[in-house]
Amino acid sequence: MDELITGLQAAPVLTQALAVTFGGLIGVFSTLGVFFLIIWISGKLAKKDG
Amino acid sequence: MYLVGGALIWLAIKKEYEPMLLLPIGFGAILVNLPLSIAGVPTVAGYENGFLKVLFDMGIKTELFPLLIFVAVGAMIDFGPLFRNPFMIFFGAAAQFGIFATMIVATLLGFSLKEAASIGIIGAADGPTSIFVSSIFAPHLLGPISVAAYSYMSLVPLIQPPVIRALTTRKERRIHMAYHESKAPKWLKVLFPIATTMIAGIVAPISVPLVGSLMFGNLIRESGVLERLSRTAQNELAYLVTLLLGITIGSSMVASDFLSLQTLMILAMGLVAFIFDTAGGVLFAKLVNLFLPASRKVNPMIGACGISAFPMSGRVIQKMANDEEKGNIILMHAIGSNVSGQLGSVIAGGMVLALVPLLSK
Repeated sequence: MDELITGLQAAPVLTQALAVTFGGLIGVFSTLGVFFLIIWISGKLAKKDG
Repeated sequence: MYLVGGALIWLAIKKEYEPMLLLPIGFGAILVNLPLSIAGVPTVAGYENGFLKVLFDMGIKTELFPLLIFVAVGAMIDFGPLFRNPFMIFFGAAAQFGIFATMIVATLLGFSLKEAASIGIIGAADGPTSIFVSSIFAPHLLGPISVAAYSYMSLVPLIQPPVIRALTTRKERRIHMAYHESKAPKWLKVLFPIATTMIAGIVAPISVPLVGSLMFGNLIRESGVLERLSRTAQNELAYLVTLLLGITIGSSMVASDFLSLQTLMILAMGLVAFIFDTAGGVLFAKLVNLFLPASRKVNPMIGACGISAFPMSGRVIQKMANDEEKGNIILMHAIGSNVSGQLGSVIAGGMVLALVPLLSK
């Protein structure tokens, strides 16, 4: 991971922007995915409780 | 700059485009460019030692104003529609595409990574996030970025419909979506802001000020025992900080910095960001539809609500659905997607804040 970051630090700005895009979109989708799971599981629990 | 300030005041009064922000920004822009003013040398933050400089140092440099606005916004948001249809949360992620696409465009135009990230974040369609990120990465671009963010937010009813029409068929825009009314339990409404703050803290610790203040406001609202504090956050706090925030941003619009090609490029890229956001949400909805049975297809216009301009985008999409077919009610889905956009924009801001410093050493 450190090697990848070091490599990107030396890369052109466009490559860095693409890396931020890739990482950022994965981060946003996965974080909101966890929120989805929380709400979904909570919804199931709430239905079970009646 | 007097003309720019005057134009912003005109837009606020005559066209009612985000008047609470554009009017103070316009007046601040006039104030800071007055010759022989209070204390001499104009800086990016207003005159040295002048009251605008004090406000800038106190509220923008410390990131306090946007965070206080987030407390107010959190107190205004009802996540109920999202709890009823949690899948909408993914549209809030997809519609952040504009942030990243615009960042790439900005780097192609010669901006540094930090500047490009600040410009891209206009696509968060979320003023406080734009101000928060640009005050850290590119304080010298704060003026044009804030003006672009708030202007385009108020222009969502003009920007989104043509993009949506270009990417969808009439048949798709007429898709009906069933809505089942159900009440989210109170424990979920109370736990949600706490859990999201903790998860954001683990995933992107630097996003905690943004997520934490938003969710603090929401917890006050949902606790049910702090009604007066919730009302204060939604009204007095929001109005007072907005007033100070606007005039302080205006004070960063010093003629020598603002009147440049760079500003025009930022304003243009802000529009690009909103277009990419809308396209990202709509195309994601169309992608999802490929895997859904005919009876459960999503109206792809819902995807466009994943931008954070809340609740304007949700209303625009409902109006479009009704214009396409009278009686097609998709408002609650649209609002669910729209509040997801609020979450998505804050998380995207956090991601940008976490990733960019790693690479731009």
